[in-house]
Amino acid sequence: MFDQAKTDDPPLDHGRLLDVLARADAARLMALAETLLSLLGAVEVVQSRTGLVMLPMRDTVQGTDFHLGEVLVAEAHLRATGGEGYGMIVGRDLERAMAMAVVDAAIACLGQTPAISAFLQSEAAAQAAADTECLRAIEATRVDMETF
Amino acid sequence: MAYVATRGGARAIDQAERLYRAELGQIDATRVDAVRRALPMLIDRVMGEASLYEPDLAALALAQAGGDLYEAVLLLRAWRTTQPRLAIAEPVRQEQLFTHRRISAAFKDIPGGQILGPTLDYAHRLLATDVLQGRPYCPAPVTPAAIAAPAHQPSLAAWQKAQGLVADPARTEVAPDAIPDLTREPLLFPAKRAHTLQSLARADTGGMLTLGYAAMRGYGNAHPTVNELRLAEAEVRVTHPRGTVFSAGRVKVSQAEVTSKGKSGQLSLGFCATLGWNEVKVISGATLDLNAAAAPKGSPVEEEFFLYHTEPVEASGFCIHFKLPHYVTFQSSLDALRGAKTAAAPQSEQVPT
Repeated sequence: MFDQAKTDDPPLDHGRLLDVLARADAARLMALAETLLSLLGAVEVVQSRTGLVMLPMRDTVQGTDFHLGEVLVAEAHLRATGGEGYGMIVGRDLERAMAMAVVDAAIACLGQTPAISAFLQSEAAAQAAADTECLRAIEATRVDMETF
Repeated sequence: MAYVATRGGARAIDQAERLYRAELGQIDATRVDAVRRALPMLIDRVMGEASLYEPDLAALALAQAGGDLYEAVLLLRAWRTTQPRLAIAEPVRQEQLFTHRRISAAFKDIPGGQILGPTLDYAHRLLATDVLQGRPYCPAPVTPAAIAAPAHQPSLAAWQKAQGLVADPARTEVAPDAIPDLTREPLLFPAKRAHTLQSLARADTGGMLTLGYAAMRGYGNAHPTVNELRLAEAEVRVTHPRGTVFSAGRVKVSQAEVTSKGKSGQLSLGFCATLGWNEVKVISGATLDLNAAAAPKGSPVEEEFFLYHTEPVEASGFCIHFKLPHYVTFQSSLDALRGAKTAAAPQSEQVPT
């Protein structure tokens, strides 16, 4: 079902495409990055590391922002001749973060080529389908407390 | 300090550690993976108390500690210090949570409705002893609804504020890097609300339950009703070097509000949230938050009392440090005892040495 995505869909904006890349299937993301790497020429790895992102939350009672705790992330930052690429994903997978940075760099240098666009549309559709499946199971647990 | 140096015991110490670890046997990736898959609730509890979200590392810590929660939390808190702080994410807001469970015990009809989500609340608790006879327990699959639940549910508290049921204090915008942070500054009293809520988010589940339960049973000053309980996933929204904000992925979070009738003719609310799904912790924490406002000095629901005593690493560490050699302090106590007895009875009785 995921290959039904059309490459003539409008390109995703930068925020949305980063959302999709960060959540993309690891194997498919790395396979795409492999094909794009040779198109980027010389690439300098500025950063490849794990680290912490502090996650604040807003209290619903007084509206106070407070720190909920830290999330381990993997980060990658690349510099290519035509632009930079950046990846950050929740977890410890440096290769996934690097693959995200390669695709982001490729988009900065080459734009959303048909191959990249098809990948983004297909992954976005897969992610939406996974959310829908999850939310249908959640909806099955809705109760009406009047008749409960 | 009143400790003695431990000398000549290196071999014994080494063998003692080996004896402890021998029972756990070899720890490999298969075991860690099995712990992570089999014990998601425990993983969540440990991640919340460690204040570090990474399920694989939490599973490793549990495997290495043989399930000793305080050891596992200590391992994770220590490991966390090896990692650089890369960023502070955008604050998570309730109405943006990808919501799996959302209920209210105070109001039947809440905007968005009641969604039980994954819970054993109304289930029979029966031990599946057939499993031990070789008959696996296979849970029945969920029959999904035809339509999907909304990913985001409205905030009940926001609706109550709009109705005038609860106070709606003006909030001051604080930049994420200016939010008070207990990992970088001490907890002082009266605590900033940001410190209180961060401290509760990191606190020991069992300790919070004990103190929260005491308040619920009457040793507090407000009886809680769950206003809203939510299990959800939060997006970790970070900033690209070019300034674009995006989600690096989702983490599980839980949050609770509890309510009671306030003195001002409005409802009072208490709040607590934590990383991972842990309902007992957030309901207990919200109860403590609700009770803290009017707590007498030195009572279990006083902020200083419950925050100091529910910090898992400090509390467990202080408790178990009493196992370490205290011969000098204890010798001093014995000397004082002997002195007192000598003074009381000049003929002096013998105290064994």
